[in-house]
Amino acid sequence: MEFVGKKRKNQTLGNVFKITCLSFVAIIQIFPLVWLFDFSLASSNELFTNGLLIIPKKIQWGNYVKAFVDGNFLLYLKNSLLINTLAVIIVLIISIMAAFAITRMSWKLSPVVRNILLLGMMIPIHATILPNYQIYNKLGLTDTIWALLIPYVAFSLPQGVFLTCSFMDSIPRELEEAALIDGCNIYRMLAVIITPLMKSSIATVSIMTFLNNWNEFMMASTYLSSNTWKTLPFSVLEFTGEYSSNYAVQFAVMALTALPAVLIYVLLNKHITKGVAAGAVKG
Amino acid sequence: MKKKILSVLVALTVVASLTACSSKKAENSDNNNQKNPSTTTIKVFSNQTDRKTGQGLIEQTLFDNYMKENPNVKIEVEALDDEAYKTKFKAYASGNSLPDLVNAWGQPSFLNEVIDAGILAELNKDDYKDYGFIDGSLEGFSKDGKLYGLPRNTDVMAFYYNKAIFKKNGWEVPKTYADLITLAGKIKAKGLIPCSMDGSDKWPLSIFMNDLVAKLEGDYKTEYRKSIESGDFSNPSYKKAAELLQEAVKAGLFQSGFETSDYGTSLNLFANGQAAMYYMGSWEMSMATNPDVIPEVRDNIGVFMMPVVDGGKGKVTDIAAWNGGGYAVTANSKVKDEAIKLLNYMFKQDNWSKLAWENGVCMSAQDYSAYLTGKETAPQKAFTDIVTGSTSITGVTFNDLGTSEFKSLSEDLSQMLAIGSIKPDEFIKNLEEATK
Amino acid sequence: MQKLYSNKWVILSLVAPGLLTFIFAILAPICLSFYYGLTDFSGLGNATYVGLENYKNLMSDAAFWTALRNSILLAFGFILIQHPLAIITAAILDKLQGKAEGFFRCVYFIPNVISVAIIAYLWKFIYNPNFGLLNNILKIFGYNKEVNWLGSGMAIWSVLVVLIWHGFGWGMLIYYTGIKNIDPVLYEAAAIDGANTRTVFMKITLPLMKPVIQVNVTLAIIAALKQMETVYLLTNGGPGNETQFLANYLYKQAFSSFKYGYGNAISVVFIVICLVITVALNKMFQEKEVK
Repeated sequence: MEFVGKKRKNQTLGNVFKITCLSFVAIIQIFPLVWLFDFSLASSNELFTNGLLIIPKKIQWGNYVKAFVDGNFLLYLKNSLLINTLAVIIVLIISIMAAFAITRMSWKLSPVVRNILLLGMMIPIHATILPNYQIYNKLGLTDTIWALLIPYVAFSLPQGVFLTCSFMDSIPRELEEAALIDGCNIYRMLAVIITPLMKSSIATVSIMTFLNNWNEFMMASTYLSSNTWKTLPFSVLEFTGEYSSNYAVQFAVMALTALPAVLIYVLLNKHITKGVAAGAVKG
Repeated sequence: MKKKILSVLVALTVVASLTACSSKKAENSDNNNQKNPSTTTIKVFSNQTDRKTGQGLIEQTLFDNYMKENPNVKIEVEALDDEAYKTKFKAYASGNSLPDLVNAWGQPSFLNEVIDAGILAELNKDDYKDYGFIDGSLEGFSKDGKLYGLPRNTDVMAFYYNKAIFKKNGWEVPKTYADLITLAGKIKAKGLIPCSMDGSDKWPLSIFMNDLVAKLEGDYKTEYRKSIESGDFSNPSYKKAAELLQEAVKAGLFQSGFETSDYGTSLNLFANGQAAMYYMGSWEMSMATNPDVIPEVRDNIGVFMMPVVDGGKGKVTDIAAWNGGGYAVTANSKVKDEAIKLLNYMFKQDNWSKLAWENGVCMSAQDYSAYLTGKETAPQKAFTDIVTGSTSITGVTFNDLGTSEFKSLSEDLSQMLAIGSIKPDEFIKNLEEATK
Repeated sequence: MQKLYSNKWVILSLVAPGLLTFIFAILAPICLSFYYGLTDFSGLGNATYVGLENYKNLMSDAAFWTALRNSILLAFGFILIQHPLAIITAAILDKLQGKAEGFFRCVYFIPNVISVAIIAYLWKFIYNPNFGLLNNILKIFGYNKEVNWLGSGMAIWSVLVVLIWHGFGWGMLIYYTGIKNIDPVLYEAAAIDGANTRTVFMKITLPLMKPVIQVNVTLAIIAALKQMETVYLLTNGGPGNETQFLANYLYKQAFSSFKYGYGNAISVVFIVICLVITVALNKMFQEKEVK
């Protein structure tokens, strides 16, 4: 009895220690964001105090109103969602098609094409920013949604193909063969039989693609000029100039633009964790 | 669980496709507008990101008025901060796809390469005879006798100071540079920042030195031009100015970390009462009317010029001033004539000049004496007195007199000098090399 | 059946979209970069062929080497600081049960989903020497000097901290998954043998995590090479070129210094470096596995 008791005590002590360590890391990870939120509710000159966090003299919700309206929040959020969703869908379709051809069909060049498609993983996206600007400009694609969609798809595709290939390997062939014998053509079979079996792969590829492109702004700021297709990071980029002498409103716009992604993440926490983990382990 | 992900994805797709439809419609209506021959869209590329106060407000007001008067004209503005602006400007230029009306700087460092590449449209000089542009203000935008742009303002570099803080502590406006250094120590002892400096943009440091050379040499307008052309910076005043800058930094005149403070940060240190002084151009006189500036500062802004240096030939009235920022029209713009019309409208009598003055934003490059009311803000009055009382002006400062490469090299050197990573000797030597 | 699976037109139609995207968005720009890299194109006017001049200049360009050095520094920062911390945190987290586990995992990952634009601006405020969070924290501990975090000498380390902080959750999550995949039977056996926590971690967890660590190290090195956005907004390579990275440098050369040709030459070298390093790393780890 005594022995067991001691062990329990040790265990609780150990647990306290573990929780302390983890909490310490958690504080480092999250405190800057708490600080951001805190001062986004204050008035600008309250930032120039010495304390870490403050209780604002008067909670300035107006900061958020300004951020919401003048930051073009809704328009940019809509653009971000639209462009990212389209990119995800295109990446999924192209990946599944290519992965099927590579893993299932018999042709000599299959490994070559596979390697070519995967080559993109090693190429730094920013190295193409200068020439792509010239190309898009010549083709009249600058300041259109294509200027973002094309590179976003192109640079998410290698990962998509890679993950889809490895998932597809684990799907049994019997089903598709049965379908083909029934006279189904390959495209239909791909859409009706294979794709529904690829749910977990689709989730992983979607999440990875989304995370890859959601935060991108170098291309966006180089290729876009009017507001029509600007994405969420622009709320922040433009705002710091517009409200250069009002820090609190700048904080508010940062907190506001961070919100959608954080919300989506917290809601889908488990799935995103799984998706990232699956992608990483396969990768 | 997977179903949930799927349903979220589906929901997102639906939202996205709905918005896609609606935006397509929006596009269509845009297209219709463009097809309608009577509607012209003028694209403007501006470096005034703040459209609600200061110069951006004036610019936007004029555009709005113009659109009201000309319902068939649509003006689309893209605005970026200076550095981002210059970068994107070059990107546009390399793709030969500049917007129609652009912000430009009437300085060789910006303009020469752009004019040589044939990017800017020539303006008809005679159009502006009765616009009231003050003597010499169009020089910066001219090359080989041709005019390529119009300047917005007369810019004067000065120290803003917080009169309330000065009064409370019994400090006086410094009469000499040595006084300024002593004052810095006193202010620091009170736990305040003596002078806020935008060091990450580097050019204020270059202008600071140029300002000092004016105090050492007196009227020397052509001196720097010659030095840059010949690559000879042996005039001892250059080295002296470099030494004086380092002396100021050593005495703690600027905030710690000034070399990483950007424009907004340095402005806000002063605007929130953290700094007693702020070295910046006259365009910031609009602080006196900016609601974001705390009232304790806003109502107590004073202005003084770089004080004289012991043994220098210059007077306090030999000031650092120039006509810098302005506008130009791109040569291959599809709506070139309309863009020029808009440009001319902006600078017609009673437009830019009047609005800018009445709103306390800046001094236009035109004769604005007709708009004086006596009710101006303190900095407005101060700057008017400074300009009318000036005995000489520097014109474009040395960092902007060479090529764009010289600008970036010389400004880097100014920053390195200020943080003490090179000595005045090395500064001069490297400056000479940078001209080659 | 076999006929269906080897129909050339079907195959072509399936891989064509992927190949076309690759050709249009990756291959064509690289070829164009190669072309511009051989010219003195300034971005304005005409381009003149200058041969390998740009590449020669690049080799003697101090900023280029600083950028490479910074990438190496960053890679080491990831491997020697971020990853050990991530593995240890993951190992502790693994021992935790119930809601707390999910909570911590969620909190650690949050910075990762926040846009780089926000992260960079936020840290600019945190690092501000005059009113920033970090100096205020130091003040609480009685250190009253205003540290200039982004100033000369300090800047690169401050940038490293931001990047390590931002990517921590990602690394943690991958290690965490790796640890979860370890067969619990092994731990039970070790417990029976009376091994303490540290021995278990060193003798079981770490060795079994080797493949995960290898993948993570490869990813870290590539991420370090590709770094651009955070630096662009936080310091833009400054002061001087102290915090310069290749991607940011080529952007700056092309669009701020009117050296479009030179910028493209950097692009080409950048791509070659990335290719060589990825291939080398893969070879290295594969050979080890074979042994």
